[in-house]
Amino acid sequence: MFWKNSKKKNDQGPAQPSKSIADLLVQLETNPDFNHFCHKSKTLTCWISYINTVVDLEYIHRDLLPALYSERVQCMKDIAQVVPIDKLIETRDLSVIQTSLLDGYFMIQPSKRSQHVYLIPCPKKQARQVADTEVETSIVGAHDSFVESLETNINLVRSRIPIPQFKVEEQRIGKLSRTRISILYIEGLANKANLNTTRQRITDLETVSVINANMLALMIGDNSQSFFPQFFDTERPDRVSGALYEGKIAVLVDGSPSALILPSTVVEFFATIDDYSLTWPVASLYRLLRLFAVAFSVISSSLYVAALTYHYQLVPKDLLATLIVSRSSVPYDPIIEVLLLEVMIELLREAGVRLPTKVGQTIGIVGGIVIGTASVQAGVTSNILLIIIAMSALAAFITPNYRMATTIRLMRFPFILAAQMFGLIGVGLCFMFFVCHLLKLTSLGRPFIEPIYPMRVTDLKDSFIRLPSNMQGQRPLFLRTADKNRVNLHRTMQKKGKAKPDIDE
Amino acid sequence: MKQKAVLIAPLIAILFLSGCLPTSIIDDVLLVEAEGVDYLGNEKVMGTITMPNYVENPNPGSAGAGLPTTASMLRHLSGVTYDGKSLVDRFQQSGQMPIRVGKIRLMLFNTAMAKKGLYKQIDLRNRDPDSPRDMNFAVVEGSCRKLLTSADYQTQIPVARYIQDMIEQNTEQNYPESTMESFMYAYYGDYMDPFLPIIRKQGDHIAMHGLALFKNDKYVMRLSENRVFTFKMLFQKFNQGVYDYEFAPNKHIAFKNVHTDVNYKVKNGNSAAPDIYASVNVSAQVRQAYPKSLSKASSPVMEKKLNRHMAKQSAQLVRRFQRKGIDPLQLGQHVRSYTRNFDGKSWPERYANARFHCKVDVTIKQTGISE
Repeated sequence: MFWKNSKKKNDQGPAQPSKSIADLLVQLETNPDFNHFCHKSKTLTCWISYINTVVDLEYIHRDLLPALYSERVQCMKDIAQVVPIDKLIETRDLSVIQTSLLDGYFMIQPSKRSQHVYLIPCPKKQARQVADTEVETSIVGAHDSFVESLETNINLVRSRIPIPQFKVEEQRIGKLSRTRISILYIEGLANKANLNTTRQRITDLETVSVINANMLALMIGDNSQSFFPQFFDTERPDRVSGALYEGKIAVLVDGSPSALILPSTVVEFFATIDDYSLTWPVASLYRLLRLFAVAFSVISSSLYVAALTYHYQLVPKDLLATLIVSRSSVPYDPIIEVLLLEVMIELLREAGVRLPTKVGQTIGIVGGIVIGTASVQAGVTSNILLIIIAMSALAAFITPNYRMATTIRLMRFPFILAAQMFGLIGVGLCFMFFVCHLLKLTSLGRPFIEPIYPMRVTDLKDSFIRLPSNMQGQRPLFLRTADKNRVNLHRTMQKKGKAKPDIDE
Repeated sequence: MKQKAVLIAPLIAILFLSGCLPTSIIDDVLLVEAEGVDYLGNEKVMGTITMPNYVENPNPGSAGAGLPTTASMLRHLSGVTYDGKSLVDRFQQSGQMPIRVGKIRLMLFNTAMAKKGLYKQIDLRNRDPDSPRDMNFAVVEGSCRKLLTSADYQTQIPVARYIQDMIEQNTEQNYPESTMESFMYAYYGDYMDPFLPIIRKQGDHIAMHGLALFKNDKYVMRLSENRVFTFKMLFQKFNQGVYDYEFAPNKHIAFKNVHTDVNYKVKNGNSAAPDIYASVNVSAQVRQAYPKSLSKASSPVMEKKLNRHMAKQSAQLVRRFQRKGIDPLQLGQHVRSYTRNFDGKSWPERYANARFHCKVDVTIKQTGISE
């Protein structure tokens, strides 16, 4: 094959490790932002190197260099006393030196080629301010969301979990990128097996680079062929801390404003954080509404195709006239009509997302009003179908998780094709296919549709409905946490004392 | 590689062969709404089918693409054929689009056809999976063809829908249910006979005209309109029926039943003359009364009168059924369910001798807002 020959030439790849510190310096010196110079004061001569685009230059100029010029620094060992820093790393390890330099450390060598170096951390992180949530917005809940800096993100979570049991493990993955990844969990709650699986999947990952958390989710997911996202991704620190308190594990990736929650079940994708701010009957109704919306969104257009193509018997008699009249001027079969509109809606959505916000609104108006009405008046689609498609698009957007929303939107296409091929039987077959797939799907080795199959009644309390918090005394059974009770169950279930009359009678 | 081929080949086959499935796209077929069968004699019938005529609303711009609207479709077809022939097949050759029977609402037979016997028609409908089980059957006094194809009705609504709506709203009041399902149940069931409503054209409208009672598949007796309430009262529990009672010459009282239920008890079910006890409770709301005929004090008197009158009417009704040897009230079923080791073979002879005891208890709940 062609690529086998080209492999030989690739021996000067960037992945080649430096043999010695001299090699490293030579390699780095070609970069214009690498500073490597001899420092000479009255008392000390040493070599200083840093990459000025990743270090905090202000800190170096204000604190480090004046300290080095100070007369109190007689030899290398004095640096630790004089320079106002919390840690000074003294190392000979080349790999540590390399990563530290690239991460924004300030390196001091006694001589130009000395293996023995001192490293002072002074990285500068360009991070966005913590801003409002944009994808998973909440009305009454917290408004802060993760940003691209790992430290800020951990800070956001840690400030919500101020306990010593909260653990953060850091790993670096990506053959080239060496991206920092943090695994967050609460010791004594998170299931050990889950934790080990997470660690193993992340360390064993064969990849060049990890750019964001969702990419990582796809790489460490149980089934990479699946339509469904297997790990919940969120930009909300409150959601992450809630999950950690349940005994789940969170994974943060440096440079990515979202966190992964593992393991996840399918019902989680339809719960919002606002559900926990509302009274339980209201929250339950909204969850059921979301469930209905998903079913409607997936099934409605395929049912339209099936009923109008094969099962005219099923159309209610009062709807018959409306349907026939609205379809009478449409020259296509129902399937073409449906695909046309569905693709149109997808185009609109995609255009709306890609365009800047201000233009995006215009696209909504153009798409919704102009194209919608025009296509009906031109006789390309029927009125009824326009309503059905618009409703199902709306219903798809009701899903709180963006990745799940896209899945649900695309899931309808196999249904539509199956409906055209076999009518209602086709819809049934397609449904069966998806059910079988979901039954087999796992998240971190745990069943993905857990409260339904296998049936776990305790976990149903916070799934399609949300029961009041005094009935939520147990952590999800699904997670097999080390401590299964959230609270002292005996006390939540305690009977009230005997009622005393307000006024002595 | 081989595995993949095994997987992909059927998918491709499905994709290409699915185009060969016959479709019935809703606006590319003619949906039959009503069928009418007139008996011509000598096993020949005149069949009529009607199709809906959906008029597109004159909404400017909505009629695009310059295509013909459904308003210009065929509306009805009729022709001579033999008894028991599927009319849809008979008229397929004259359909401008495929004619489909799956949305049929109404099946009409004229009295000659019903008297001759419906068993071929029943078999045809029962065999066809496309026939909706909740379609209405009815007997037409006069010609079905005239009824279905007349253009002189007051309403613009397609005649099939007009008739079905009329039958359905009457079914919610005085008339018992007469769908295909209930007809088939009584036809195929043991110790019972079916019935159908009679409709007829009266000038520029259509009206219900009593019940046609069948012996097996043959129309043998007509129940006049004022007896239908009594019939339904003995047949099932119901409400919203209206009964008009002429308690003295030219003095009427009419009530709406808030609720009616009937209970049957049977004694000596296997004897030559079984005793059938029917007890009926009627809760009535008086809608109309001869002035000064009814007051709070006098309502028990009126109740008693009604009790006697309705019990008498019920007994008369059953007597007439017994003489004809028909059992539309499904009394035989009640006897069977009350009798251990029921002797079904001799039932037809014993039915004629059965003693029917009817007790009606009318309670006037309300006499209106004024005395």
